[in-house]
Amino acid sequence: MEIILFILYPLALAGPRFILPALGLHGVLIAQTAMRYGRIPLIGMRDTLGFLAFAIGIFYAVAGWNRKRDLFSSLCIPLILLLLSGSLVSPPSLPGPLPPVLNTIWFELHVILSFLSYGLFAVGAVFGVLALSRQEPSAEKNQYRSLLLGYVLFSIAMIFGGIWAYYAWGTYWLWTPKELWTTIVWFFYSLYLHARLVRGWTGPKVVWMGIIGFVIVLFTYAGVGLLMKSSHEF
Amino acid sequence: MINFFLSLKTAVWTLFVLVCLFFLGSYMMPVHREIFASMNDDILFRWVENTAIGSLWYTWWFFGALAALALLAVNTLACSVQAVTGRWTRSDFLLRISPQVIHAGFLFLLLAHFLGAGWGYKTSGMMPEGAFARLPENRGLFLKAIRVRTDDRGFMTDWSAEAALYEGDRLVKTGTLGPNAPVFYKGMGIYLKHLSFETGPVALLVVAKDPGALWALVGGVLFMLGSVTLLFLKWKKA
Repeated sequence: MEIILFILYPLALAGPRFILPALGLHGVLIAQTAMRYGRIPLIGMRDTLGFLAFAIGIFYAVAGWNRKRDLFSSLCIPLILLLLSGSLVSPPSLPGPLPPVLNTIWFELHVILSFLSYGLFAVGAVFGVLALSRQEPSAEKNQYRSLLLGYVLFSIAMIFGGIWAYYAWGTYWLWTPKELWTTIVWFFYSLYLHARLVRGWTGPKVVWMGIIGFVIVLFTYAGVGLLMKSSHEF
Repeated sequence: MINFFLSLKTAVWTLFVLVCLFFLGSYMMPVHREIFASMNDDILFRWVENTAIGSLWYTWWFFGALAALALLAVNTLACSVQAVTGRWTRSDFLLRISPQVIHAGFLFLLLAHFLGAGWGYKTSGMMPEGAFARLPENRGLFLKAIRVRTDDRGFMTDWSAEAALYEGDRLVKTGTLGPNAPVFYKGMGIYLKHLSFETGPVALLVVAKDPGALWALVGGVLFMLGSVTLLFLKWKKA
């Protein structure tokens, strides 16, 4: 069924509203997996890449609802398809319920909010490219709004993750590469939000920060897990 | 001098330095496991005392990050004090106070880390069923039983351990430990981290006391309240 998504998502290249069938099917597939395993399907690269693509799709639809066919769609849809492809070639997560340590509402909220914020950071980066291409005067403001919302969700996700870790291991933060990179993401977007207030820094400088931020997010999500040992391996 | 601590540019550059130092740290940690592997085994200041100070060639980024965090804390406090003591109008109250609430949340989080790093304790060990272990503060832990639940397909769905806590010779608490379900007593938490069945049922237990935990929660709540309020106001304005 996932293959059909590769037909439905490209329809949105004709305009953001055409993404609805793809989002509908994708949502049903996620819900189906959740019901089959009795848990949220957010464990392992296959699950999370698919959910990230879905999250970007949702924010693409919201942010682009009144837009026509343009560069915004031309950037968002290939990104969604790229993530979906990554999901399909990744090994499936083990079927069955969540491992006991992950079976808590704090973990579920932590990962759902994390990936929603990643989706917003992605859309913010796309708005950044639009701003740099000088096709759209409001793109910088849209980037800011996406990243501000992403930052708030990401902060809440970290706080929930801390509560979960405290209940699981007696500590809300560990000195591991994954936690360091998560903090790098948090500091970097704090830097972006503060830099935007510095006189003379608005414009391309902060727009670039919004784009670089998403590269850091991608590395934090995928690169750190692949290259470095951390507490986020289950 | 005071302008330096009040400057927004100080915050921006300090955040940039922190990003760079944490980046370096994330590279150094897996490369020099012999130094960093024990970082989370005990409270942080003990690792600093026993390991980090003697290995400055590899741990300088950590001390640099601490210095940068201290500067950021002073900068945040100075900016917030200046904002709060400035002239107020009723119309922009929420818009002006919410960033300060976020700042207060951040400062409480830093305070929590500082308290947790310097005071309290953390210890862990494998305990078989029926074993007794001595804990700090003249306490002892008796592990009565370990239980595992599986579903009809054989997947392990849950596990638990019955524990009894003694203070001196007096039984002060009994409880069931489980994943994400510690037993607390006077600020000390007993955590069932993992189970092993290689040589019979054995539990990996962590016992920790973190005097910063409550402040971390206060900081987290303030950060959430401030950021959600600010987000709502900014979006409404936009």
